[in-house]
Amino acid sequence: MTTPLTQVDDLRSELAAAGASGTWYWDIPTDTLHVDAKFAELYGIDFEESRSGVPTRTFFRAIHPDDRARIRIAVAGILAGAEVFSKEFRVVAPDGTTMWLHGRGQCDFDDQEQPVRFTGVLVDVTERKRTEERLRIAQSAGGVGTFEYIDGYATATVSEEFCKLLGLYPALVLPTQTINGVTCPGQEPLIPGPRREDMPTTLEGTFEILRSDDHEHRWITRRGEIFREGSGYRLVGVIYDVTHAKQQEAALRDLNDTLESRIEQESAVRRAAEEALRQSQKIEAIGQLTGGIAHDFNNLLMAISSSLELLKKRLPQDDPQIVRLIDNAQQGAHRGAALTQRMLAFARRQDLNPVLVDVADLLRGMMDLIQRTLGPAWHVECDFGDNIPPVLADANQLEMAILNLAVNARDSMPDGGPIRISAEQQQEIAAGDVTDLDAGDYVVLRVIDRGEGMDEKVLSRAMEPFFTTKGVGKGTGLGLSMIHGLARQLGGSFTLTSQPKQGTIASLWLPAANVAAANPEIDAPRNAQNSLECLTILAVDDDPLILLNTAAMLEDLGHRVLEAASPHEALILFEQYPEIDLVMTDQAMPGMTGTQLAARIEVIRPNVPMILATGYGELPEGMRATVVKLGKPFNQSALESAISEAISRFRH
Amino acid sequence: MIPQHVVLSELERDALTEIVNIGVSRAASNLRKMIGDQVYLSVPSIDVVSQRRAARLISEREVSELVAVRQGFTGAFAGRALLIFPETNSLDLVRAVTGNELTTQEVIDIEQEALAETGNVILNSCLATMANMLKQSLSMSIPEVVRGSGSNLFEVDEQSETEGLVLFLYIDFAVRSRDIRGYIAMIMDLPALASLKALLEDFIARVVGDDA
Repeated sequence: MTTPLTQVDDLRSELAAAGASGTWYWDIPTDTLHVDAKFAELYGIDFEESRSGVPTRTFFRAIHPDDRARIRIAVAGILAGAEVFSKEFRVVAPDGTTMWLHGRGQCDFDDQEQPVRFTGVLVDVTERKRTEERLRIAQSAGGVGTFEYIDGYATATVSEEFCKLLGLYPALVLPTQTINGVTCPGQEPLIPGPRREDMPTTLEGTFEILRSDDHEHRWITRRGEIFREGSGYRLVGVIYDVTHAKQQEAALRDLNDTLESRIEQESAVRRAAEEALRQSQKIEAIGQLTGGIAHDFNNLLMAISSSLELLKKRLPQDDPQIVRLIDNAQQGAHRGAALTQRMLAFARRQDLNPVLVDVADLLRGMMDLIQRTLGPAWHVECDFGDNIPPVLADANQLEMAILNLAVNARDSMPDGGPIRISAEQQQEIAAGDVTDLDAGDYVVLRVIDRGEGMDEKVLSRAMEPFFTTKGVGKGTGLGLSMIHGLARQLGGSFTLTSQPKQGTIASLWLPAANVAAANPEIDAPRNAQNSLECLTILAVDDDPLILLNTAAMLEDLGHRVLEAASPHEALILFEQYPEIDLVMTDQAMPGMTGTQLAARIEVIRPNVPMILATGYGELPEGMRATVVKLGKPFNQSALESAISEAISRFRH
Repeated sequence: MIPQHVVLSELERDALTEIVNIGVSRAASNLRKMIGDQVYLSVPSIDVVSQRRAARLISEREVSELVAVRQGFTGAFAGRALLIFPETNSLDLVRAVTGNELTTQEVIDIEQEALAETGNVILNSCLATMANMLKQSLSMSIPEVVRGSGSNLFEVDEQSETEGLVLFLYIDFAVRSRDIRGYIAMIMDLPALASLKALLEDFIARVVGDDA
């Protein structure tokens, strides 16, 4: 019969190859524990003293208090018939250092199924425990889950992080069917099934999954290594979530795919903006051209009408034929002047005389005129809101604009119908709400018809000068463009809303006047008293024809005239002739404007009355208040009043 | 929610795991003898969960219908024990325990009986061991084979407001070369779980003694 000791020796020799492992032999009937030198060393007990055996409670004594109860239960289990004892626990050495040990043992039973001995091996697994700890932290911190699969089995060994990534209840072993159940239809299995016979060639792959717990779509990448083992194989791999990268990739691809259409869209927006810009530039260019032509044409009309005026005076008055012919010629010149006024209005260069206008009053006052102009087939309805603030506008121009719109409305309804004219206050308009308008309070005048309306194409060109749908000879095409110019000049806007067969709404937006700030007395009472005295007048104009005419009119009024064909000549003459009483100059001249000339003259000799003749609307900035402005074309009486006023401004 | 008085402490869970481990070891060795092939049994993990949760745990893992061998037990603690496996495994298991010698028709013919017998062996090993370790006696009823979803097996009653609890033991048993796996579950009501917990406390006191 072999003694326990020899058995320990045998065991020791067998296990020597195992390295740092201790062995134990637990003799159950005698309740004695036999250990080898290594076990003694690991447990921190004296080997020599333990040679004859130690009480079995020694087995538990060195175990860390937190692990002791657990190991006692496990030992109870093995003694009661569990198959294997395989536990990890901490042992505290006498010097206080703690190490992890793995005890693995088994129990032998006698014929009566009574336990006789419990033998096993003790291995220092501190290093492995630390490695496991690092692996666990690497997995949880890095979001990497591990798996191991041996072919032929229906289950795989997995890590907690693995389960978490797939949204499965944490387990150490999962059926491959469960693992593969989370992948979306049409995907390769994450782990090959047990009936798959061929060894996989790679573990590289990305899988689309439906996470089990929250049913979220995720992308998982699998990597790992394949080990051939006997006739089978073993797979060791990891999985990790790549959803974020996949989404970025998809977003990038989407961005690429839609690039073309987005460029197309952007281009369309840009083309539309360019088209709008071109359109406004076109109108601007036409405006300048029109203004320029109107200006020159005005000068010619001026020459014609003033010559006619003088001619009429000098010709015998008793020949009715001659008088009629000259009247005809003068009428023609007047109509030409009216036309240039409208062209200048479009070019925003007309001479406006803005005063505070009560819009409702103005409209009421002209209802009769409108109704008569339109005819009985067109009924005019009025709708003026309460508390409409006054606007700062030229009343005559405003009347013309409304009449013009009313006539347009009539023309769009050849068979008659209602025309509605309304006025209302629109407060707190924000910038951009209405084309061209800045933020502020406005008065909007509307002329509304139910006529033919306009299609988009016509509507887009309706405000272009010379654009007309009325047929050759029926309209100048200046009506709407003129109103547009007027509105813009007054700081307002003119908009058209129309649809074919639905009618048109023409809206004229004008800024509500600040009554307190506005000066109701725009014009100082003019001193219309004729001056009979003979003055020495310096007339300046770069256009010889005009200069000649102006001089002729002045001389006809009994004044002495010095003619200068340029501002420089004017300055020379002014210095030469200190007796000059008044300077009358054109505004637009090459080299120096009338305003600049006035300033130079002021330096040479202050307080000289001056008249500025101009076809342009606004007074140039820096213009002295004492300078009298005279709009071209002017007739002799207008010239005479201007002279009186200029002189009167220095006689206080 | 699981009432606090039946929640197992860490040590009680260890003790129960160890006890079940012994039972499973016995069951495995019995099964090994029947099948003559390697049988792998995982270390059991134990949870007390609601019946609904148990049903979800099973259906998360198994997409097909399930087969279970069910046995009632009475004694110091009472309840029903279940050996559960996917229905698709059922014939494989029968084939495994009958040694591949039967025709498909014969396997189908004896399926019910073979399953009941196999389940009886495994469940008996487990329960008898538990009773033995806890120094109690249990009597077991005749096994029955039931089929259905996780909800059917765990008798989830959607109408009921109070839910029964399940002592859910994951014991994956896998047989090499065959796609066979299964689970063991014990359905117990609150008083039964409280009794089990008390018995576990006794067991721990006995085994651990002064160290606890």
